Amino acid sequence: MTTTSDAPARRTAPPPLPPEERARLARAFSVPRTRFLVGLPLAAAVLLWSMGGAEFNFVKLGEGSVNMAEFLSRLFPPDFSKLGIIVELLVETLQMAIVGTVLGAVLSLLVAFAAASNIAPRWLYYPARWAMNVIRSVPDLVFALMFVSAVGLGPFAGILAMTLGSLGSIGKVFAEAMEAVDRGPIVAMQAVGASRRQVVQYGVLPQAAPLLVSYTLLLFEGNVRGATILGLVGAGGIGLELTTAMRMYDYGHLSAITICIIVLVTVIDQGSALIRRRIT
Amino acid sequence: MTSTATVLEAPTHVPALPLVTVRDLRVAYDAHVVLDGVDLDVRAGETVALLGSSGSGKSTLMKSLTGFAPIARGTVRVAGHDLSDLPRGGLRALRSDVGQVFQQFHLIPRLSVLTNVLTGALHEAGAINVAGGFSRTHRVRAMQLLDRVGIAHKAKEPARSLSGGQQQRVAIARALMQQPRVILADEPVASLDPRLAGSVLRLLRQIATEDGIPVLVSLHVLPLALEHADRVVGLRHGRVLVDSPVAQADARALAALYEEQDDAHDHDL
Repeated sequence: MTTTSDAPARRTAPPPLPPEERARLARAFSVPRTRFLVGLPLAAAVLLWSMGGAEFNFVKLGEGSVNMAEFLSRLFPPDFSKLGIIVELLVETLQMAIVGTVLGAVLSLLVAFAAASNIAPRWLYYPARWAMNVIRSVPDLVFALMFVSAVGLGPFAGILAMTLGSLGSIGKVFAEAMEAVDRGPIVAMQAVGASRRQVVQYGVLPQAAPLLVSYTLLLFEGNVRGATILGLVGAGGIGLELTTAMRMYDYGHLSAITICIIVLVTVIDQGSALIRRRIT
Repeated sequence: MTSTATVLEAPTHVPALPLVTVRDLRVAYDAHVVLDGVDLDVRAGETVALLGSSGSGKSTLMKSLTGFAPIARGTVRVAGHDLSDLPRGGLRALRSDVGQVFQQFHLIPRLSVLTNVLTGALHEAGAINVAGGFSRTHRVRAMQLLDRVGIAHKAKEPARSLSGGQQQRVAIARALMQQPRVILADEPVASLDPRLAGSVLRLLRQIATEDGIPVLVSLHVLPLALEHADRVVGLRHGRVLVDSPVAQADARALAALYEEQDDAHDHDL
């Protein structure tokens, strides 16, 4: 009995606050919070500073709009005479994205197990997180160049770059999706005497599954778009055709390619939205 | 019996068979002592209600029976397993022998009712069960159990679509799927309305009497305990204050469990 003397005070309800104290507390919520008043100008200052550094200029944009219109007018009419090549390359791009996404998602899942604090031991958790951070900070184009020099020009290099890039971008969100699951079913699985693998299989994965699928679809959409860029360094897909068209001032062909990419990306967006609606 | 554990009690003296034996149990988290000097016996076929106000140690006592709480002193034997002397892998073997029911049901919301029940048999599923398939025997047993708890018609629906009372019945079926030797239910009806609470407690007691599986159930509503249990055990500040058959329970002693006391908050047990 260390504090017998003040015990009765703690057991009974606290005494009512004096009126002035109550008024002070009420007033604290009537004015905008200080952090808001300080935060807003601060955010505005950061934005202005960044605009200056990035040479953001509304006047220049207005003056240039004539040139922009001229450029856009050159894109018309689109020239679909080489539609066969476009479709063929788009299919290759799509195939690259599918393989890159599947490999990336599987690898990400494996690394995510190591990077989820509720599954992995500490000694595995930190290296896994660190590795993903390193991969994420390297631009995909650098990976693409690396793999082009390793396995030569072509889609294979692109796929490898995409896989590694995927690992960086969704490994972490996979891990966080697994960390965010309700602990209750995990306790229940431990309580029935399930092994660690079974706890993950029945307690963690089913709960995280909608998020994991959703992120994988987002990754796939991103990879389809990304695959067009990888072509720039000769890593397969429609990107090379796109750059060639630009360099040769073949604007009709360029706009045809762009329109086809838009159609493909839209179809994929709609498709994955449909899947996402059904699984959540 | 599917259990591979050493069965210490011979099944011939069933009436006197204590499946849960706790002697002089002390549980402490660092300097904070939650349970001290706790003795408890739960015998086959009986329903024992664990009573006490919040913080009295009910949940901790439940947890200490399945190795979820650190035992600082004393002995705990559950279904033939000695918790202070578990062999390697013994904890999983113990837990597979003890069916647990929780206040928040702890079902996996997206999975079907049937799958949720089947997870109770995970300890029997071999290491090859990676694809998530369960044997026909298990599925048949799970359906029988769902029928018994009255939810068979919802077997294919996701667990989240069920009402609270139905979810708790599924959780009970999952516990039975383990073919448990003891059932522990920690506040199983605290999230349910009185009518559902009664039906869930009746189901638990029926399991105790028909299957001979002892049920230890913690409750915070005294009348429910008096109606649905054979015996009441009252905890206060981590000690057993009351332990008697319901018929002989002393109303004043029971009321004392919930009394406010000046020295209540920092008893240095």
